[in-house]
Amino acid sequence: MRGRHSILIFILFGLFLLPDCRERERTLAVKPQLRAYDLEQDWNDPQRTILLDYQQAQGKRIFYTACVWCHADATPAGPSNRSNVTPTPPLLNDGNVLNSLSGEFLRNVIALGGSAMGKSTMMPAWGRTLTQEDIQAVIAYVRALAQPPYQAPVRPSS
Amino acid sequence: MSDEEMGIVSRRFRLAFAITGVAFVAVLAVSPVKDYFREWKRYSKEYVQYAQIRPDTKRLLADFHPGIDQIWIPEMKVLDRCTTCHQGITQSGLVDPSVPQPFRAHPLMPHHPREWGCVICHRGQGAATEVSEAHETTLAWEQPLLPACYIQASCGVCHGEDLPETPKLNRGRHLLEQFNCVGCHRLQGIQRPEMIGPDLTEVGSKESREWIYKWLKEPMTVIDSNGNATVDGYLTGQPRMPQFRLNGQELAALAAYLSSLNGQPEESYRFDARVAAAWEKRPDVAEQGEARFRQMFCTTCHSLAVTRAGETKLIGGDTGPELTKVASKVNPAWLVNWLRDPQARLPHSTMPRYQWSDEDLYKVTHYITASLTDPDLLSTVPKLKSPGPEDIQLGKRLFQDKGCASCHVIQGIPSQKDFGPDLSGLGGKNVSQLDFGNSKVPRNLISYIQSKIVDPLSVNRAARMPQYYFNSTDLDAITTALLSMTGPPSSSGLAKLMRPRVQAVFRPAGSFGKIYERYQCVVCHRFNGYGGTLAPDLSFEGSRAEREWMIDFLINPTTLRPTLTFRMPQFNMSKEEAAIAADYLKTVFQTKAVDLETQSLKSYASEQVTLGRQLYEVKYQCQACHTLGSTGGYVGPNLSNAGNWLNAAWIKAWLQNPQALVPGTIEPRRAFTDQEVEALTAYLLTFKQAGSPKTKLVATNTRGGAR
Repeated sequence: MRGRHSILIFILFGLFLLPDCRERERTLAVKPQLRAYDLEQDWNDPQRTILLDYQQAQGKRIFYTACVWCHADATPAGPSNRSNVTPTPPLLNDGNVLNSLSGEFLRNVIALGGSAMGKSTMMPAWGRTLTQEDIQAVIAYVRALAQPPYQAPVRPSS
Repeated sequence: MSDEEMGIVSRRFRLAFAITGVAFVAVLAVSPVKDYFREWKRYSKEYVQYAQIRPDTKRLLADFHPGIDQIWIPEMKVLDRCTTCHQGITQSGLVDPSVPQPFRAHPLMPHHPREWGCVICHRGQGAATEVSEAHETTLAWEQPLLPACYIQASCGVCHGEDLPETPKLNRGRHLLEQFNCVGCHRLQGIQRPEMIGPDLTEVGSKESREWIYKWLKEPMTVIDSNGNATVDGYLTGQPRMPQFRLNGQELAALAAYLSSLNGQPEESYRFDARVAAAWEKRPDVAEQGEARFRQMFCTTCHSLAVTRAGETKLIGGDTGPELTKVASKVNPAWLVNWLRDPQARLPHSTMPRYQWSDEDLYKVTHYITASLTDPDLLSTVPKLKSPGPEDIQLGKRLFQDKGCASCHVIQGIPSQKDFGPDLSGLGGKNVSQLDFGNSKVPRNLISYIQSKIVDPLSVNRAARMPQYYFNSTDLDAITTALLSMTGPPSSSGLAKLMRPRVQAVFRPAGSFGKIYERYQCVVCHRFNGYGGTLAPDLSFEGSRAEREWMIDFLINPTTLRPTLTFRMPQFNMSKEEAAIAADYLKTVFQTKAVDLETQSLKSYASEQVTLGRQLYEVKYQCQACHTLGSTGGYVGPNLSNAGNWLNAAWIKAWLQNPQALVPGTIEPRRAFTDQEVEALTAYLLTFKQAGSPKTKLVATNTRGGAR
């Protein structure tokens, strides 16, 4: 009788220990804004905030120094230069125009300028001013900002 | 004992032995089972499974590290096992945000994780192999992971200089400087400036007792009838003075004490009799004064509240104080004397000493006294009874008790240093080192810092810190800057990498030195890394601009960039002063990259000009950004007077590599051939405007601009 009791106690003890073997599933509950390197307000919807990672944030910085003058309707210095440029350059968040352009095309048009890619000559070549990483960062920023949102093409499996 | 009995005993023993044996094995088994279920093993398995469904399976599996993977850099005390679970951290294929954590790759950044480890930037416990131990505060490890939105603080631990990649950190450091936090606190890497708040030794001759009362009570001038600040100017850095928690008696005593400090009575400046007589009766004197105020570009440094379509905004710069209601503050005699010679009243003032004609001074001061005032400003101030000596005594004591002497100087009162706690190591503090008292503030460093700033009383009811008002963006920036102050480096490897925050100083002597001091050039312009960033860097100005153009420009500054609001003020500089300044700039501020000697006598053929025009208008379409005559873009400077302004050698060097002359300029570097460079130079030099162009008034309302 007593033996049976002891066995029961051992089994209970074992059951008690078991859950400890597997660490409880823990979600690191952090506000999404806290996990972003930088934020950008959606250009069309001031209520929506876009979260940027390091690379996109660098793209934002480069955009606001070099590109904002012609690819936005307002600049840090006031009026935009967009109206002085013909044909009118696309707004940077214009997904309808930019989403269909491949990363490679954007890389080339930034690095080699508009004329090299059959676009407006008014878009200068930035390949000798910005580094490859800079250009990649600007593209990452363009993709983050796009409205309607940009969908990365599904890569063919090899 | 009989055999039978022995048998029973031994059977019992056997049973007990068997049970104990089973129990022992079970206990022994716990350990391997526990080990088998280790979190990191699960993540390893999941990673392998995840790699199977990726298109780049082969590559991912080739780089997979089974078992515990660690980054070990002894000289930096780095021992990070984060990559045990974060297997994909350096896999460029896994950078997309759709990749589930913990497998996602680190976004591209300048420091490779394998060379630096993770904890140096992200904090947390590197050696841990459990999720919660690595990321959170535990009993044994108090430094939790730093949320990514404050991660720039880690850049600032080593990089004392402001990096372009860390705008939030730079903004935070700038705010800590701007709001004079060093007045009371010791901060890492931020020096105490010579002057913090104004010298109050003779403040009684400048401001009334009622105004001082009002200012101490609520140092915001642009408020609605309910006393709420209607301009977010308070949030953008106006005024620097925080709000102290003072009761009516304390306010009255301080106002009584400060207004008793009147020193020499202010002597009224005598205007030229003819000027005064001519303008005295003119009804449009204030209007004329305003026009002059705008022409002189006072708003480059000072802002005014402007209400348009029901929205009040501060328009203008924040180098000097906001002036919307300044005439309610200072008395007219003081104002005139101040404008004539600011440094005579405040030796450290950065206000330039303008060359005033009596006429301009008369008009502008009349405009300020008539228009920049608010008769209702002091309506909320109770009637103050005439102060007795005990009020003044109390005020004097309060001046020191409240820490006023940390920022302000009064002759005869010892200045206070380190009035508040030392914050130079705050960013590296453990939670157990912080005093939360009984407050409800969440027990972590970031909440501690932020609640202390948002409401200084939230943690400690007896705190002496005054009230500041920051919006959430600025609060995060300040938090980031404070988190970067982690005290001395934690390892010898890091100590070698530390880049101190250096501040160059440029103080020229001689006759140019006098002009430089008088017009405070350095507030806006930069000279070899020293000075403001509001206006172009003049370190190479001698190689760029022609002497005659410089003289014309200094006497009558014109607008090279049509969209800028912040322009060079008109100092009414004399011709002699302009010539001295131009000669100095021309000879001292040169770059080797531009050889002025070779270009001076060169002339260009007309074919080159024609080719240059073709290149400018068709091949490169420079008009997208530059204005020539009346057409073209706003991004670059107006080139209509390029022939008088720029010298040929500079244009050539600039076209070949603009960033070599002005680092960070946005003019893209092109691949021009030598022939194209010559042709464009020839073309641009043909643009010369006759005489010095008139200053134009353009009203736009935002700041900054392309440089």
